[in-house]
Amino acid sequence: MSAVARTRLDNGVVLIARPNRAAKSVAIQMVFEAGAAFDPASKAGTAALVAGLLDRGAGTLSAAEIAATFDDLGIAYGAGAGRDSLEITLRLLSEHLPGVLERLRLIVSEPTFPEAEIGREKGRLLTAIAERDQNTAAVAEMAVQATLYPSGHPYRSPRLGSRDSVQRIERSDLTAFHKSHLRPSGAIVSMAGDFDPARAIGLAANIFGAWNGGPGQSARRAVRTPEAASDRAARPPIPDPPAPGRMISVVRPIAGKTQADIALGFRGLARRSPDLPAVLVLDSILGEFSLGGRLGKAIRERAGLAYYAYSHVTAGLGVGPFVARAGVAPERVRRALELMRGTIAQVVRRGVSPSELRDSKQALSAAVPRRMETNPDAAEILADAEFYGLGIDYPRHLPELIRAVTRSQVEEAARKYLTLKSCVLVVAGPAMDKETLA
Amino acid sequence: MTARARRASVVATRLSNGLTVILREMRQAPVVSVWCWYRVGSRDERPGFTGISHWVEHMNFKGTRRIPKDEVTRRVELAGGTWNGYTWLDVTTYYETVQSDAFDEMLRLEASRMTECVYSTTEVERERNVVISELQGGENDPRSFLEKEVTGTALQAHPYRWPTIGYLSDLRVITRDDLYAHYRRYYVPNNAILIAAGDFESRTALRLVRRHFGKIRRGEDAPPVRTIEPAQRGERRLTIRRPSGAVYLDLAMHAPAAADPEFAAFLVADGVLAGGPTVNVWSGQDGRGPSKSSRLYRALIEGNLAGQVSTQIVPTRHPYLYRVAVTANEGVEPGRIEEALSEEFERLARGDIAERDLERAKTQFLARHALESESTTDAAHQLGFFETVASHRLFFDLPRRVEAVTAADVAAFARRRFDRDQRTVGVLRPSGPLTAPAGPAGHGVTRS
Repeated sequence: MSAVARTRLDNGVVLIARPNRAAKSVAIQMVFEAGAAFDPASKAGTAALVAGLLDRGAGTLSAAEIAATFDDLGIAYGAGAGRDSLEITLRLLSEHLPGVLERLRLIVSEPTFPEAEIGREKGRLLTAIAERDQNTAAVAEMAVQATLYPSGHPYRSPRLGSRDSVQRIERSDLTAFHKSHLRPSGAIVSMAGDFDPARAIGLAANIFGAWNGGPGQSARRAVRTPEAASDRAARPPIPDPPAPGRMISVVRPIAGKTQADIALGFRGLARRSPDLPAVLVLDSILGEFSLGGRLGKAIRERAGLAYYAYSHVTAGLGVGPFVARAGVAPERVRRALELMRGTIAQVVRRGVSPSELRDSKQALSAAVPRRMETNPDAAEILADAEFYGLGIDYPRHLPELIRAVTRSQVEEAARKYLTLKSCVLVVAGPAMDKETLA
Repeated sequence: MTARARRASVVATRLSNGLTVILREMRQAPVVSVWCWYRVGSRDERPGFTGISHWVEHMNFKGTRRIPKDEVTRRVELAGGTWNGYTWLDVTTYYETVQSDAFDEMLRLEASRMTECVYSTTEVERERNVVISELQGGENDPRSFLEKEVTGTALQAHPYRWPTIGYLSDLRVITRDDLYAHYRRYYVPNNAILIAAGDFESRTALRLVRRHFGKIRRGEDAPPVRTIEPAQRGERRLTIRRPSGAVYLDLAMHAPAAADPEFAAFLVADGVLAGGPTVNVWSGQDGRGPSKSSRLYRALIEGNLAGQVSTQIVPTRHPYLYRVAVTANEGVEPGRIEEALSEEFERLARGDIAERDLERAKTQFLARHALESESTTDAAHQLGFFETVASHRLFFDLPRRVEAVTAADVAAFARRRFDRDQRTVGVLRPSGPLTAPAGPAGHGVTRS
């Protein structure tokens, strides 16, 4: 793995540069702690709107002028809000790096949020929401969130918001969100590609060093290690959701669908949890390895019930969900559910075999260098490690952490997280009777 | 910007059994990407057997005489790898991107897949349901439903007209022997292309390829597709009513094949309309919308008519379709969108193309062409895909061809191709019983 340079500027901006001379291009990922989790109460969708509007007018430049500078140089620009973070990505030929960094600074520090652009972006968001609400997979995952997290929890609302919440958002909400969340302190600029790392850092330091967004109104929170996390604005930590206490079943009928999406959601863990390596191995065994782990083997390979059956873990600043998923015809929901619950119960009761433990550990640790191959992937992985305060060496250490996981740790994680008596079961799709879930 | 497609070091050869081998050394990371391509796709099917190529692809993950079922993907993953396969109009392909020390093992896997997959009746029946489930999942999405209907209307004779997933009726009756016969007919070295890109030395790599594939016997040449789509003589329209969250418009026009000299003007025309197009069907279709200074963005998005617009170019062996897909804004009649699109097509046909528009379209194309072949996986994909539909040399030649396109070429292309009589216009409108909004609250919760 190439040497990675990292610097933290006086204003709190963290710069990361990973050289890769194989192609004459650069990928940039800029990250702020400004995801949907930080949307103001009853205004879900604010972060998504802010992300969509950053390049629609900034400083003295109009949306058209900003678009023209990117388009004339063949630069790909994208921005979006995830659960925890707001992210901007750029792909460019390396000769354009200085100009692009200047433009990036302008976009994140001085967006103008013109009213006409806000109206248009809200319209687009409302259409995306209407489409999402007809999408069985999206509806199933939203229902897991809405049931797993209590009212008022930052992870409860859908990332794009709802029809009502988006209509409530006004320009002042966007400017306030920008002011309090898109600040130099804690911002990350991660670059990977064709440059000398010291020069790229120097260039970015000149451009971002002069940015003074101020420390914000609130006091810094107590210093925690590593330093990146401590740079961010003080905010209460994202609270752990309570255990559901039983299996809560939710049916979301959507007319006109040919297939149902099933989600079985458990309370998972935060990214910095010491359990993470063991849970990654558990998730691989349960629903990722090869054709979807044990779930894929039982539901797709042996029973031929579904095109997809798998599990995934979302570990963020706060406790994310650990979800088992499958998409099946309505008349097969019952059988698929039996297999899903049976497979999970078996992992919890009987544990995992030494050979599947070995396979999953080997696959997860050996995949790390490949995942860093391209510039966009490297920029993203390094930004992610920085964002969650795991340290810039995290991609280098991750294989060791995975290899150190023991069988008893995986089995302990299965008992702790895959709690069939305390989880959320959602079926979204063609109308079906409640006995299906009984 | 000048064309910077640095002519990569590529070794291309053909073994005596007809297998095409193309190798590209890329030393950027200790990984290698191996792709095995077959010149077979939905174009090689006939009514009653639609979807068979794709189903064969699924069967070819279910073990071979030497490699048990679970081992096929397991071995790739143990090498830190990622794997997949896909079937489309002209192609079926399988790939593994792994740590480079597993190169030899991946070649053994692909050679085994070419000759000795096991088609057990039990596995065929299981997979029948899996493939039907894949079809039903696709039908859940109103946009892909509309796309399928428009394709079948725009093309009336050429086998590109049916969906690669197949028709449900055919998937219900295709037998194990049908599948096996299709496999044996098309999975022969003279119908295949083996690609590797990554961290290896070409001479050594070629020796390994010969060792694994050299002894496989040549088969009969696959029969060519003979039907040529007759010229369209008038606009075609269709309206579909299905439950959906928005109104969709899908407009299709006939497009030139990848090897056609017109293809470069096609790329630039699309670039002026929507921003630099991708020619990487594997990783380039990332849902990126039109570039924000493009004409369609300005006319439809900034014109408050649509929330989304995307265009699609597929490099194909035979003439296929150019598609513009639009998600209408709430309350906007699709007719207004169609008129706005017509106006943009007519502008092009009139030759209303400024030098800056032309340069921008070319620059964007050249940048994407380079960026979307950077990884070993993408580089290997592009070599194989273009070799299947035309020639791998065409991929490297596209930047030169695109740079040579003039405004007059684009205007001539638009006049020939974007005429109203050449269009198929599909509209999907929401219908059906209104469903309760799937809001975030505890709506519809039952407790057991």
